[in-house]
Amino acid sequence: MTTLTRQDLNFGQVVADILCEFLEVAIHLILYVREVYPSGIFQKRKKYNVPVQMSCHPELNQYIQDTLHCVKPLIEKNDAEKVAVVIMDKEHHPVERFVFEISQPPLLSISADTLLSHVEQLLRAFILKISVCDAILNNNPPGCSFTVLVHTRDAATRNMEKVQVIKDFPWIVADEQEVHMQEPRLIPLKTMTSDIVKMQLYVEERAQKT
Amino acid sequence: MEDVILHYQPGSAAGLSCLLERTERLLESFPCRTPPVFKPWFSVDRHPPIRPARPPPVITGPAGLNQLREAEVHSRLVVSESRHRQPPPENPPEPEEAACVSETPKHLLPETEVTGHKDGSSVTDSLLKRSWSVFTQRGGLQRESMSGRFRHVVSAHRLHLHQRAKWVIGQHNCGGGRDIEQVWCSLSRGVRSSGPPPPCNANIRRERLEIWVFCDVVLSEQVGRYLKAALRLSGGIDLSVHGRGSVFSM
Repeated sequence: MTTLTRQDLNFGQVVADILCEFLEVAIHLILYVREVYPSGIFQKRKKYNVPVQMSCHPELNQYIQDTLHCVKPLIEKNDAEKVAVVIMDKEHHPVERFVFEISQPPLLSISADTLLSHVEQLLRAFILKISVCDAILNNNPPGCSFTVLVHTRDAATRNMEKVQVIKDFPWIVADEQEVHMQEPRLIPLKTMTSDIVKMQLYVEERAQKT
Repeated sequence: MEDVILHYQPGSAAGLSCLLERTERLLESFPCRTPPVFKPWFSVDRHPPIRPARPPPVITGPAGLNQLREAEVHSRLVVSESRHRQPPPENPPEPEEAACVSETPKHLLPETEVTGHKDGSSVTDSLLKRSWSVFTQRGGLQRESMSGRFRHVVSAHRLHLHQRAKWVIGQHNCGGGRDIEQVWCSLSRGVRSSGPPPPCNANIRRERLEIWVFCDVVLSEQVGRYLKAALRLSGGIDLSVHGRGSVFSM
Protein backbone atom coordinates (compact mmCIF):
# COMPACT_ATOMS: atom_id res chain seq x y z
CA MET A 1 0.00 0.00 0.00
CA THR A 2 1.32 3.43 -0.94
CA THR A 3 0.48 6.62 0.88
CA LEU A 4 0.11 9.81 -1.11
CA THR A 5 -0.82 13.36 -0.25
CA ARG A 6 -3.70 15.13 -1.95
CA GLN A 7 -1.28 16.95 -4.24
CA ASP A 8 0.10 13.74 -5.70
CA LEU A 9 -1.39 12.68 -8.99
CA ASN A 10 -3.80 15.60 -8.63
CA PHE A 11 -6.02 13.31 -6.68
CA GLY A 12 -8.29 16.11 -5.55
CA GLN A 13 -9.27 16.69 -9.14
CA VAL A 14 -9.95 13.02 -9.71
CA VAL A 15 -12.15 12.85 -6.62
CA ALA A 16 -13.96 16.04 -7.63
CA ASP A 17 -14.60 14.62 -11.10
CA ILE A 18 -16.00 11.40 -9.67
CA LEU A 19 -18.16 13.14 -7.10
CA CYS A 20 -19.52 15.78 -9.46
CA GLU A 21 -20.43 13.13 -11.99
CA PHE A 22 -22.19 11.23 -9.25
CA LEU A 23 -23.93 14.33 -7.91
CA GLU A 24 -25.25 15.14 -11.37
CA VAL A 25 -26.83 11.72 -11.66
CA ALA A 26 -28.13 11.94 -8.10
CA ILE A 27 -29.70 15.37 -8.57
CA HIS A 28 -31.52 14.28 -11.73
CA LEU A 29 -32.78 11.20 -9.96
CA ILE A 30 -33.92 13.11 -6.86
CA LEU A 31 -35.84 15.58 -9.02
CA TYR A 32 -37.52 12.67 -10.77
CA VAL A 33 -38.26 10.56 -7.70
CA ARG A 34 -39.56 13.49 -5.68
CA GLU A 35 -41.61 14.76 -8.65
CA VAL A 36 -40.18 18.24 -8.66
CA TYR A 37 -40.51 18.27 -12.46
CA PRO A 38 -42.97 16.52 -14.76
CA SER A 39 -41.93 12.95 -15.41
CA GLY A 40 -42.25 13.59 -19.16
CA ILE A 41 -38.98 15.48 -19.25
CA PHE A 42 -37.04 12.49 -17.93
CA GLN A 43 -35.66 9.55 -19.84
CA LYS A 44 -34.32 6.29 -18.58
CA ARG A 45 -30.55 5.90 -18.87
CA LYS A 46 -27.96 3.59 -17.41
CA LYS A 47 -25.26 4.75 -15.04
CA TYR A 48 -23.12 2.68 -12.68
CA ASN A 49 -24.82 -0.25 -14.39
CA VAL A 50 -28.22 0.61 -12.94
CA PRO A 51 -31.17 2.39 -14.56
CA VAL A 52 -31.46 6.05 -13.68
CA GLN A 53 -33.75 8.84 -14.82
CA MET A 54 -32.11 11.82 -16.44
CA SER A 55 -33.77 15.04 -17.52
CA CYS A 56 -33.78 15.83 -21.22
CA HIS A 57 -34.73 19.45 -20.71
CA PRO A 58 -31.85 21.60 -21.96
CA GLU A 59 -32.40 24.48 -19.52
CA LEU A 60 -32.61 22.24 -16.47
CA ASN A 61 -29.62 20.19 -17.58
CA GLN A 62 -27.59 23.31 -18.12
CA TYR A 63 -28.58 24.65 -14.71
CA ILE A 64 -27.46 21.46 -12.98
CA GLN A 65 -24.24 21.37 -14.96
CA ASP A 66 -23.47 25.01 -14.19
CA THR A 67 -24.15 24.44 -10.51
CA LEU A 68 -21.82 21.46 -10.31
CA HIS A 69 -19.20 23.15 -12.42
CA CYS A 70 -19.05 25.81 -9.71
CA VAL A 71 -19.08 23.28 -6.87
CA LYS A 72 -16.23 21.27 -8.33
CA PRO A 73 -13.37 23.59 -7.27
CA LEU A 74 -14.65 23.46 -3.68
CA ILE A 75 -14.66 19.66 -3.68
CA GLU A 76 -11.28 19.62 -5.36
CA LYS A 77 -9.78 21.72 -2.58
CA ASN A 78 -11.68 19.73 0.04
CA ASP A 79 -13.53 22.89 1.05
CA ALA A 80 -17.06 21.48 0.75
CA GLU A 81 -18.46 19.68 3.77
CA LYS A 82 -21.97 19.11 2.55
CA VAL A 83 -23.88 19.43 -0.68
CA ALA A 84 -27.61 19.51 -0.10
CA VAL A 85 -30.36 19.24 -2.67
CA VAL A 86 -33.20 21.14 -1.06
CA ILE A 87 -36.77 20.77 -2.21
CA MET A 88 -38.82 23.81 -1.36
CA ASP A 89 -42.52 24.51 -1.33
CA LYS A 90 -44.20 27.42 -3.07
CA GLU A 91 -43.27 29.74 -0.21
CA HIS A 92 -39.62 28.74 -0.60
CA HIS A 93 -39.54 26.92 2.71
CA PRO A 94 -37.60 23.64 2.63
CA VAL A 95 -39.70 20.49 2.81
CA GLU A 96 -36.94 17.97 2.14
CA ARG A 97 -33.20 18.11 2.16
CA PHE A 98 -31.01 15.42 0.60
CA VAL A 99 -27.69 15.98 2.32
CA PHE A 100 -24.49 14.54 0.88
CA GLU A 101 -21.77 14.77 3.51
CA ILE A 102 -18.32 14.52 2.02
CA SER A 103 -15.14 13.76 3.83
CA GLN A 104 -11.82 13.36 2.10
CA PRO A 105 -8.76 12.01 3.90
CA PRO A 106 -5.72 14.26 3.92
CA LEU A 107 -3.54 11.27 3.09
CA LEU A 108 -4.67 8.89 0.41
CA SER A 109 -3.83 5.26 0.78
CA ILE A 110 -3.76 3.59 -2.58
CA SER A 111 -4.86 0.00 -2.52
CA ALA A 112 -6.87 -2.37 -4.64
CA ASP A 113 -10.03 -0.91 -3.12
CA THR A 114 -9.19 2.45 -4.59
CA LEU A 115 -9.91 1.09 -8.04
CA LEU A 116 -12.57 3.20 -9.60
CA SER A 117 -14.74 0.20 -10.28
CA HIS A 118 -14.94 -0.36 -6.55
CA VAL A 119 -15.87 3.28 -5.95
CA GLU A 120 -18.50 2.99 -8.66
CA GLN A 121 -20.03 0.03 -6.88
CA LEU A 122 -20.30 2.11 -3.74
CA LEU A 123 -21.86 4.99 -5.64
CA ARG A 124 -24.30 2.62 -7.29
CA ALA A 125 -25.63 1.75 -3.84
CA PHE A 126 -26.41 5.44 -3.26
CA ILE A 127 -28.29 5.63 -6.55
CA LEU A 128 -30.31 2.54 -5.69
CA LYS A 129 -31.22 4.02 -2.31
CA ILE A 130 -32.32 7.29 -3.88
CA SER A 131 -34.47 5.49 -6.42
CA VAL A 132 -36.48 3.78 -3.69
CA CYS A 133 -36.50 6.56 -1.10
CA ASP A 134 -40.00 7.68 -2.07
CA ALA A 135 -41.27 4.64 -0.22
CA ILE A 136 -40.16 6.12 3.08
CA LEU A 137 -40.84 9.77 2.39
CA ASN A 138 -44.16 11.56 2.45
CA ASN A 139 -45.50 13.18 -0.68
CA ASN A 140 -44.40 16.72 -1.37
CA PRO A 141 -46.94 19.50 -1.87
CA PRO A 142 -47.53 20.56 -5.49
CA GLY A 143 -45.49 23.33 -7.07
CA CYS A 144 -42.19 22.52 -5.39
CA SER A 145 -38.86 23.81 -6.66
CA PHE A 146 -35.32 23.02 -5.67
CA THR A 147 -31.98 24.56 -4.94
CA VAL A 148 -28.51 23.29 -4.18
CA LEU A 149 -26.85 24.42 -0.96
CA VAL A 150 -23.15 24.02 -0.40
CA HIS A 151 -21.86 24.04 3.16
CA THR A 152 -18.22 24.99 3.25
CA ARG A 153 -15.55 24.48 5.85
CA ASP A 154 -14.55 28.13 5.86
CA ALA A 155 -16.76 31.16 5.93
CA ALA A 156 -18.80 31.48 2.76
CA THR A 157 -17.21 34.78 1.84
CA ARG A 158 -13.81 33.08 1.60
CA ASN A 159 -15.20 30.60 -0.90
CA MET A 160 -17.13 33.00 -3.08
CA GLU A 161 -14.20 33.57 -5.38
CA LYS A 162 -13.63 29.85 -5.84
CA VAL A 163 -17.22 29.18 -6.67
CA GLN A 164 -17.76 32.04 -9.13
CA VAL A 165 -16.25 30.22 -12.07
CA ILE A 166 -19.08 30.96 -14.49
CA LYS A 167 -19.48 34.63 -15.24
CA ASP A 168 -23.26 34.92 -15.27
CA PHE A 169 -23.93 32.24 -12.69
CA PRO A 170 -23.45 34.09 -9.41
CA TRP A 171 -23.63 32.53 -5.97
CA ILE A 172 -25.04 34.04 -2.80
CA VAL A 173 -25.27 33.17 0.87
CA ALA A 174 -28.54 31.34 1.50
CA ASP A 175 -31.20 33.00 3.63
CA GLU A 176 -32.06 31.61 7.02
CA GLN A 177 -35.55 30.88 5.66
CA GLU A 178 -34.08 28.60 3.01
CA VAL A 179 -31.96 26.69 5.50
CA HIS A 180 -34.10 26.38 8.59
CA MET A 181 -36.48 23.45 8.72
CA GLN A 182 -39.05 22.94 11.44
CA GLU A 183 -38.82 19.64 13.32
CA PRO A 184 -37.04 17.70 10.62
CA ARG A 185 -37.24 13.93 10.53
CA LEU A 186 -33.84 12.46 9.79
CA ILE A 187 -33.72 9.46 7.48
CA PRO A 188 -30.30 7.92 6.88
CA LEU A 189 -29.97 6.50 3.39
CA LYS A 190 -26.41 5.39 2.78
CA THR A 191 -22.85 5.68 3.95
CA MET A 192 -19.77 4.73 2.00
CA THR A 193 -16.16 4.53 2.93
CA SER A 194 -13.43 4.23 0.38
CA ASP A 195 -9.77 5.14 0.39
CA ILE A 196 -10.28 8.31 -1.58
CA VAL A 197 -13.56 9.62 -0.22
CA LYS A 198 -16.12 9.02 2.47
CA MET A 199 -19.67 10.04 1.84
CA GLN A 200 -22.91 9.87 3.74
CA LEU A 201 -26.40 10.61 2.47
CA TYR A 202 -29.40 11.34 4.61
CA VAL A 203 -32.70 13.07 4.12
CA GLU A 204 -34.15 15.68 6.41
CA GLU A 205 -37.88 15.79 5.97
CA ARG A 206 -40.17 18.44 7.38
CA ALA A 207 -42.72 16.93 9.75
CA GLN A 208 -45.65 18.89 8.31
CA LYS A 209 -45.31 19.26 4.58
CA THR A 210 -48.66 20.81 3.80
CA MET B 1 -41.08 -19.93 23.07
CA GLU B 2 -43.66 -22.65 22.64
CA ASP B 3 -42.89 -26.28 23.41
CA VAL B 4 -41.02 -28.18 20.76
CA ILE B 5 -41.92 -31.80 20.26
CA LEU B 6 -39.15 -33.99 18.93
CA HIS B 7 -40.14 -37.13 17.12
CA TYR B 8 -37.38 -39.71 16.78
CA GLN B 9 -36.94 -43.35 16.04
CA PRO B 10 -36.06 -45.33 19.14
CA GLY B 11 -32.42 -46.40 19.11
CA SER B 12 -29.38 -46.00 21.27
CA ALA B 13 -29.32 -43.59 24.21
CA ALA B 14 -26.23 -41.88 22.77
CA GLY B 15 -28.11 -41.11 19.57
CA LEU B 16 -30.92 -39.44 21.52
CA SER B 17 -28.62 -37.15 23.51
CA CYS B 18 -26.88 -36.10 20.30
CA LEU B 19 -30.23 -35.32 18.76
CA LEU B 20 -31.28 -33.25 21.75
CA GLU B 21 -28.04 -31.27 21.64
CA ARG B 22 -28.49 -30.54 18.00
CA THR B 23 -32.08 -29.45 18.51
CA GLU B 24 -31.12 -27.09 21.30
CA ARG B 25 -28.46 -25.52 19.11
CA LEU B 26 -30.98 -25.01 16.33
CA LEU B 27 -33.40 -23.34 18.67
CA GLU B 28 -30.91 -20.81 19.94
CA SER B 29 -31.86 -17.27 18.93
CA PHE B 30 -29.95 -15.73 16.02
CA PRO B 31 -27.22 -13.33 16.91
CA CYS B 32 -28.39 -9.78 16.26
CA ARG B 33 -26.11 -6.96 15.20
CA THR B 34 -26.93 -3.68 16.82
CA PRO B 35 -26.77 -1.10 14.04
CA PRO B 36 -24.60 1.90 14.83
CA VAL B 37 -26.52 4.99 15.75
CA PHE B 38 -26.70 7.23 12.72
CA LYS B 39 -25.19 10.62 13.30
CA PRO B 40 -24.51 13.32 10.73
CA TRP B 41 -20.82 14.01 10.46
CA PHE B 42 -21.19 17.73 10.27
CA SER B 43 -24.22 18.34 12.43
CA VAL B 44 -23.31 21.88 13.39
CA ASP B 45 -23.41 24.38 10.57
CA ARG B 46 -20.53 26.65 11.34
CA HIS B 47 -21.17 28.89 8.37
CA PRO B 48 -24.29 29.68 6.40
CA PRO B 49 -24.37 27.72 3.13
CA ILE B 50 -24.12 29.21 -0.32
CA ARG B 51 -26.40 28.64 -3.27
CA PRO B 52 -26.75 29.76 -6.90
CA ALA B 53 -28.40 33.17 -7.05
CA ARG B 54 -30.42 32.14 -10.08
CA PRO B 55 -33.38 29.86 -9.45
CA PRO B 56 -33.72 26.68 -11.50
CA PRO B 57 -36.01 26.76 -14.54
CA VAL B 58 -39.71 26.40 -13.98
CA ILE B 59 -41.06 23.68 -16.25
CA THR B 60 -44.78 23.36 -16.29
CA GLY B 61 -46.43 20.36 -17.92
CA PRO B 62 -47.41 21.13 -21.52
CA ALA B 63 -45.22 24.18 -22.06
CA GLY B 64 -42.14 22.44 -20.75
CA LEU B 65 -42.80 19.34 -22.75
CA ASN B 66 -43.34 21.40 -25.90
CA GLN B 67 -40.02 23.06 -25.35
CA LEU B 68 -38.43 19.70 -24.78
CA ARG B 69 -39.99 18.26 -27.92
CA GLU B 70 -38.66 21.14 -29.98
CA ALA B 71 -35.21 20.60 -28.60
CA GLU B 72 -35.39 16.88 -29.16
CA VAL B 73 -36.70 17.00 -32.71
CA HIS B 74 -34.07 19.41 -33.85
CA SER B 75 -31.09 19.97 -31.66
CA ARG B 76 -30.27 22.97 -33.75
CA LEU B 77 -33.28 24.85 -32.52
CA VAL B 78 -33.22 28.42 -33.61
CA VAL B 79 -36.66 29.93 -33.44
CA SER B 80 -37.34 30.24 -29.76
CA GLU B 81 -34.76 32.43 -28.11
CA SER B 82 -33.30 30.47 -25.27
CA ARG B 83 -34.28 31.86 -21.91
CA HIS B 84 -31.22 30.20 -20.44
CA ARG B 85 -29.41 32.25 -17.85
CA GLN B 86 -32.43 34.43 -17.22
CA PRO B 87 -34.75 34.11 -14.28
CA PRO B 88 -37.79 32.13 -15.34
CA PRO B 89 -41.06 34.06 -15.60
CA GLU B 90 -43.62 33.59 -12.88
CA ASN B 91 -46.13 32.20 -15.35
CA PRO B 92 -44.36 30.99 -18.44
CA PRO B 93 -46.53 31.82 -21.44
CA GLU B 94 -47.90 29.04 -23.55
CA PRO B 95 -45.85 28.93 -26.72
CA GLU B 96 -47.62 30.25 -29.74
CA GLU B 97 -47.74 28.15 -32.83
CA ALA B 98 -44.59 26.21 -32.24
CA ALA B 99 -42.45 26.52 -35.32
CA CYS B 100 -38.99 25.10 -35.66
CA VAL B 101 -36.24 26.01 -37.99
CA SER B 102 -33.44 23.60 -38.61
CA GLU B 103 -30.30 24.45 -40.40
CA THR B 104 -27.77 22.40 -42.26
CA PRO B 105 -25.39 20.95 -39.71
CA LYS B 106 -21.77 21.80 -40.24
CA HIS B 107 -20.73 18.23 -40.80
CA LEU B 108 -23.11 17.93 -43.73
CA LEU B 109 -21.73 20.93 -45.54
CA PRO B 110 -19.15 20.57 -48.26
CA GLU B 111 -15.67 20.91 -46.89
CA THR B 112 -15.00 24.07 -48.83
CA GLU B 113 -17.92 25.79 -47.15
CA VAL B 114 -16.88 24.73 -43.67
CA THR B 115 -13.20 25.41 -43.88
CA GLY B 116 -13.43 28.75 -45.61
CA HIS B 117 -12.58 30.38 -48.85
CA LYS B 118 -9.56 29.52 -50.87
CA ASP B 119 -7.91 32.77 -49.90
CA GLY B 120 -7.91 31.60 -46.29
CA SER B 121 -10.53 33.97 -44.98
CA SER B 122 -13.07 32.33 -42.76
CA VAL B 123 -16.61 32.16 -43.93
CA THR B 124 -19.26 34.08 -42.06
CA ASP B 125 -22.00 32.47 -40.07
CA SER B 126 -24.58 33.28 -42.69
CA LEU B 127 -22.55 31.57 -45.35
CA LEU B 128 -22.36 28.41 -43.34
CA LYS B 129 -26.09 28.11 -43.00
CA ARG B 130 -26.81 26.83 -46.45
CA SER B 131 -30.26 25.51 -45.89
CA TRP B 132 -33.05 25.36 -43.36
CA SER B 133 -36.53 24.03 -43.04
CA VAL B 134 -39.57 25.24 -41.17
CA PHE B 135 -42.29 23.04 -39.85
CA THR B 136 -45.14 23.66 -37.48
CA GLN B 137 -45.80 21.54 -34.44
CA ARG B 138 -49.54 21.72 -34.25
CA GLY B 139 -51.10 20.97 -37.55
CA GLY B 140 -49.71 23.91 -39.43
CA LEU B 141 -50.86 27.44 -39.86
CA GLN B 142 -54.15 28.76 -41.16
CA ARG B 143 -54.33 27.91 -44.81
CA GLU B 144 -55.35 30.61 -47.23
CA SER B 145 -57.54 29.58 -50.10
CA MET B 146 -56.01 29.36 -53.56
CA SER B 147 -56.86 31.98 -56.17
CA GLY B 148 -58.86 31.00 -59.24
CA ARG B 149 -55.82 31.52 -61.45
CA PHE B 150 -53.66 29.22 -59.38
CA ARG B 151 -56.45 26.67 -59.12
CA HIS B 152 -56.52 26.62 -62.91
CA VAL B 153 -52.73 26.05 -63.01
CA VAL B 154 -53.07 23.16 -60.58
CA SER B 155 -55.74 21.45 -62.63
CA ALA B 156 -54.07 22.19 -65.97
CA HIS B 157 -50.81 20.59 -64.84
CA ARG B 158 -52.60 17.91 -62.84
CA LEU B 159 -50.64 18.75 -59.73
CA HIS B 160 -51.18 17.03 -56.46
CA LEU B 161 -51.89 19.47 -53.65
CA HIS B 162 -49.16 17.96 -51.47
CA GLN B 163 -46.63 17.73 -54.25
CA ARG B 164 -43.54 19.82 -53.61
CA ALA B 165 -43.06 22.97 -55.62
CA LYS B 166 -40.14 25.35 -55.72
CA TRP B 167 -39.99 29.13 -55.70
CA VAL B 168 -36.85 30.45 -57.29
CA ILE B 169 -35.51 33.81 -56.18
CA GLY B 170 -32.80 35.08 -58.47
CA GLN B 171 -30.40 37.97 -58.33
CA HIS B 172 -32.81 40.05 -60.44
CA ASN B 173 -35.43 39.76 -57.66
CA CYS B 174 -33.21 41.26 -54.99
CA GLY B 175 -33.54 44.92 -55.96
CA GLY B 176 -32.55 47.89 -53.86
CA GLY B 177 -28.83 47.27 -54.35
CA ARG B 178 -28.97 44.01 -52.39
CA ASP B 179 -27.28 40.83 -53.45
CA ILE B 180 -28.48 37.26 -53.06
CA GLU B 181 -26.54 36.79 -49.79
CA GLN B 182 -28.31 39.74 -48.20
CA VAL B 183 -31.70 38.42 -49.29
CA TRP B 184 -30.76 34.99 -47.90
CA CYS B 185 -29.81 36.60 -44.59
CA SER B 186 -33.11 38.52 -44.50
CA LEU B 187 -35.02 35.35 -45.26
CA SER B 188 -33.20 33.33 -42.62
CA ARG B 189 -33.62 36.08 -40.04
CA GLY B 190 -37.25 36.61 -41.04
CA VAL B 191 -38.34 33.06 -40.37
CA ARG B 192 -36.96 33.32 -36.86
CA SER B 193 -38.19 36.73 -35.86
CA SER B 194 -41.49 37.27 -37.65
CA GLY B 195 -44.66 35.37 -36.98
CA PRO B 196 -45.11 31.72 -37.87
CA PRO B 197 -43.83 31.27 -41.41
CA PRO B 198 -45.50 28.87 -43.80
CA PRO B 199 -43.95 25.40 -43.56
CA CYS B 200 -41.24 25.22 -46.15
CA ASN B 201 -37.58 24.53 -46.60
CA ALA B 202 -35.04 26.59 -48.41
CA ASN B 203 -31.50 26.56 -49.58
CA ILE B 204 -29.16 28.89 -51.30
CA ARG B 205 -27.47 27.88 -54.53
CA ARG B 206 -24.50 30.14 -54.46
CA GLU B 207 -23.07 28.81 -57.70
CA ARG B 208 -26.30 29.85 -59.48
CA LEU B 209 -26.96 32.96 -57.38
CA GLU B 210 -30.40 31.63 -56.55
CA ILE B 211 -32.47 30.85 -53.46
CA TRP B 212 -34.81 27.91 -53.72
CA VAL B 213 -37.77 27.75 -51.39
CA PHE B 214 -39.70 24.47 -51.39
CA CYS B 215 -43.25 24.00 -50.17
CA ASP B 216 -46.41 22.02 -50.89
CA VAL B 217 -48.39 23.06 -53.94
CA VAL B 218 -51.35 23.88 -51.75
CA LEU B 219 -49.28 26.45 -49.85
CA SER B 220 -47.36 27.78 -52.83
CA GLU B 221 -49.32 30.97 -53.30
CA GLN B 222 -49.20 31.72 -49.61
CA VAL B 223 -45.46 31.11 -49.45
CA GLY B 224 -44.93 33.18 -52.57
CA ARG B 225 -46.85 36.11 -51.09
CA TYR B 226 -44.90 35.76 -47.85
CA LEU B 227 -41.59 35.81 -49.71
CA LYS B 228 -42.49 38.81 -51.82
CA ALA B 229 -43.74 40.82 -48.86
CA ALA B 230 -41.13 39.79 -46.31
CA LEU B 231 -38.16 40.14 -48.61
CA ARG B 232 -39.49 43.10 -50.63
CA LEU B 233 -38.65 41.28 -53.84
CA SER B 234 -38.75 43.06 -57.13
CA GLY B 235 -40.03 41.56 -60.36
CA GLY B 236 -41.68 38.19 -60.63
CA ILE B 237 -40.65 34.97 -58.96
CA ASP B 238 -41.23 31.64 -60.66
CA LEU B 239 -42.79 28.51 -59.22
CA SER B 240 -41.36 25.30 -60.65
CA VAL B 241 -42.57 21.75 -60.27
CA HIS B 242 -40.37 18.76 -60.93
CA GLY B 243 -40.93 17.38 -64.42
CA ARG B 244 -43.06 20.33 -65.51
CA GLY B 245 -40.71 23.27 -65.14
CA SER B 246 -42.03 26.72 -64.38
CA VAL B 247 -45.79 26.58 -63.94
CA PHE B 248 -46.64 29.85 -62.27
CA SER B 249 -45.16 33.25 -61.57
CA MET B 250 -46.01 35.97 -59.12
